[in-house]
Amino acid sequence: MLFNTIQFALFLSLIFGLYWFVVNRNLQRQNILLMVASYFFYACWDWRFLFLLVFSTLLDFCTGIQMQKQADESKRRMWFWISVSINLGFLGVFKYYDFFVSSFANGLSAWGIDWDPWTLNLILPVGISFYTFHGLSYVIDIYNRRIDAERNFIDYAVFVSFFPLLVAGPIERATHLLPQIKRSRSFDLALAINGLQQILWGLFKKVVIADGCAIAANHAFKHAADGDSLTLAFGAVMFAFQIYGDFSGYSDMAIGTAKLFGIRLLKNFAFPYLSRDIAEFWRRWHISLSSWFRDYVYFPLGGSRLGKWLSIRNTFVIFLLSGFWHGANWTFVFWGLIHACFFLPLLLAGRNRQNLEVVAAHRLLPSWREWVQMICTFGMVTFAWIFFRASSMTEAWVYIERMFTSGSILRPEWFSWFLMGYIAVLMIIEYIGRNSEFGFDGVLAKMPRVMRYAAYYAIIVLVFLYAGKEHQFIYFQF
Amino acid sequence: MKIFLRRIALFLLPIVVLLYPIDLLLSYWYKFTHREPGDLEVWNAIYEGTAKCDIAIYGSSRAWVQIDPRILSDSLNASVYNFGMDGQNFLMQYMRHKEFLQYNPFPKHIVLSVDVFSLSKKEGVYQLKQFLPFVLWNSNMAEVTVHANGFKWIEPILPLVRYSGYRDVFLHAWNNAQGQQSQEAYRNNGYRGMDRHWTDDFENAKKRQAITQFKMDPNIVRKLDNLIAECAEAGARITFVYCPEHILGQQYVTNREEIIENFRSIAKKNNIQFLDYSDMALCQDTAYFYNASHLNREGSRLFSMQLAHDLRQLR
Repeated sequence: MLFNTIQFALFLSLIFGLYWFVVNRNLQRQNILLMVASYFFYACWDWRFLFLLVFSTLLDFCTGIQMQKQADESKRRMWFWISVSINLGFLGVFKYYDFFVSSFANGLSAWGIDWDPWTLNLILPVGISFYTFHGLSYVIDIYNRRIDAERNFIDYAVFVSFFPLLVAGPIERATHLLPQIKRSRSFDLALAINGLQQILWGLFKKVVIADGCAIAANHAFKHAADGDSLTLAFGAVMFAFQIYGDFSGYSDMAIGTAKLFGIRLLKNFAFPYLSRDIAEFWRRWHISLSSWFRDYVYFPLGGSRLGKWLSIRNTFVIFLLSGFWHGANWTFVFWGLIHACFFLPLLLAGRNRQNLEVVAAHRLLPSWREWVQMICTFGMVTFAWIFFRASSMTEAWVYIERMFTSGSILRPEWFSWFLMGYIAVLMIIEYIGRNSEFGFDGVLAKMPRVMRYAAYYAIIVLVFLYAGKEHQFIYFQF
Repeated sequence: MKIFLRRIALFLLPIVVLLYPIDLLLSYWYKFTHREPGDLEVWNAIYEGTAKCDIAIYGSSRAWVQIDPRILSDSLNASVYNFGMDGQNFLMQYMRHKEFLQYNPFPKHIVLSVDVFSLSKKEGVYQLKQFLPFVLWNSNMAEVTVHANGFKWIEPILPLVRYSGYRDVFLHAWNNAQGQQSQEAYRNNGYRGMDRHWTDDFENAKKRQAITQFKMDPNIVRKLDNLIAECAEAGARITFVYCPEHILGQQYVTNREEIIENFRSIAKKNNIQFLDYSDMALCQDTAYFYNASHLNREGSRLFSMQLAHDLRQLR
């Protein structure tokens, strides 16, 4: 059940009605409804993996309580490692086992040793990377005594499996979401309307931008071996907008949906293509994942407090892990490595925290210098996306080689002025609304009511015209 | 909450009010599009009641491009209409038959072109766009077009939703409304002879096409039984015709002989004439085909003359 389908609209309407009209007077019943709805939503993907989700939830719930109970530090540590090992074990088996044994076999064959590895060829359970990270953050926070263990299974199950964030995040923290789940919720008109606006904007990003760009990007990557320079460069740019529209569009729909239930999720994107350097890009792109790695990997490793060499090591560790989190393929690892290399000069020069505010925060337009910085950052990010999109390192190198050497500057056959126009609209709206939670929100606030409604209807018409065939969200595969 | 619901209702009201009128206009304009494979023209003829005929030809593209109704009409001195559906099995053909009967009288004679995939299940719905103007609240059509790769269950129920994503349909409809599209019919009484020649497409297709076999689907066989029973009840004749296939293409279906034999036994059981042209002389000559399973215009002319002759003999 994808967010951009009528089935989901009907499902959401039903749950919304039950939530605010039938069980609205009892918080526990509201949470039971959310849990059942979330499990149903997940079962619609593949009911078999529902058992894995329930098991993972029960594991963290029980180990959390055990950790809280134990006064003895060694027993607390034991329960902590049981939870972490089983969580990472599931992730390892489903997501990484085949990759590791195949890579090992390839390594051996380079030394002249032939070994036919036993691979599992398992289907990756949808959302496993996301809900595993939810559970891990919860267990780590209890172990570090930042939070107390949750004693109510229903509340905890909603935290792990709340349907808007279940399959592709944002990756929530117990410190942020659990208190909201435990607090009585009354209907907030402004929040609900804001949620609907965000869902609409997310639909535009997904259906019009991402799915439109996908045609161009897929064409470019499919014909990389005989593509010309301009087509391939354009294809990479189209993929940059595809992945942004796809993932940030999904996040907008998830956050907007949660708002309808009176719940605020973590912000996941903050206009990343307006970034002036790579460090700023990473503060604005997939924020819930990068902050997860920062808090649970980078800081425990010492962050930047232990000298230059350890800072560099820690930076590479989190970028490589971030790449590897996306999938079991060397292309993702290399993508992380490239970003680490882009980040390194800023770290060494101590300039990685120079652009904390959004571009031209208190001005109408960016300066020329900022324009150049934004374009360069976008170029670097787009270059790295080639590795992210390619199915293998060889395909990525061929793509890059052709992009820089084929020389021809033909206009790509898939080129569409309409699509360029929509991308321009996206970027202009994001720029105008850059001080708001999401671009559309900022623009709407400045519009008279008639214009606002015209904008809603225009987006609905565009989504209607460009929808049709269902396109899976890219991040569901992670 | 009341304010929220009132605002949502007010916001949705124009959409709800306009859904059906827009659907109506769009369907009206779009259905007059004359483009390959011309199925919209046949649907229009069915719903306008102008497809009434003495002899109805049913089948897939093998009927559509191979059996010329004018030749049959001249020879048999009867009105003939070709209802051949590009790429469709008997499930779809039977649905078209049911639609036809709602607006036209039962034909006196049905010539059913059968082939290797007539009674086998198909994945997805081919040429889905032809059903767009007609499927709303049409349970007969919805039954066979709502599919994992066809319409979603809600699309034949809720106006306009099924047009989502079909930007080209909007464009054709707009052009039709402006009178900017060709008014020349693509098909003639449902038939279109193909002025094409055998090319190296077959060699390319050979590389792609795996040797395969087709299984009869019991549900589709039941539909065929229904048609036979309906013909008996209406006092109409039915004749099975197995159209020519080029010799080079015959090897790609391993159970071809078995399928033909099945049709022969169904025909025998129901006392139906079965005209088998699967190995007629022109099957050896690429001059009469544009691919392994379709005759070109010249081949179609020769085959239609032979068929007309044989049907006359059977009278």
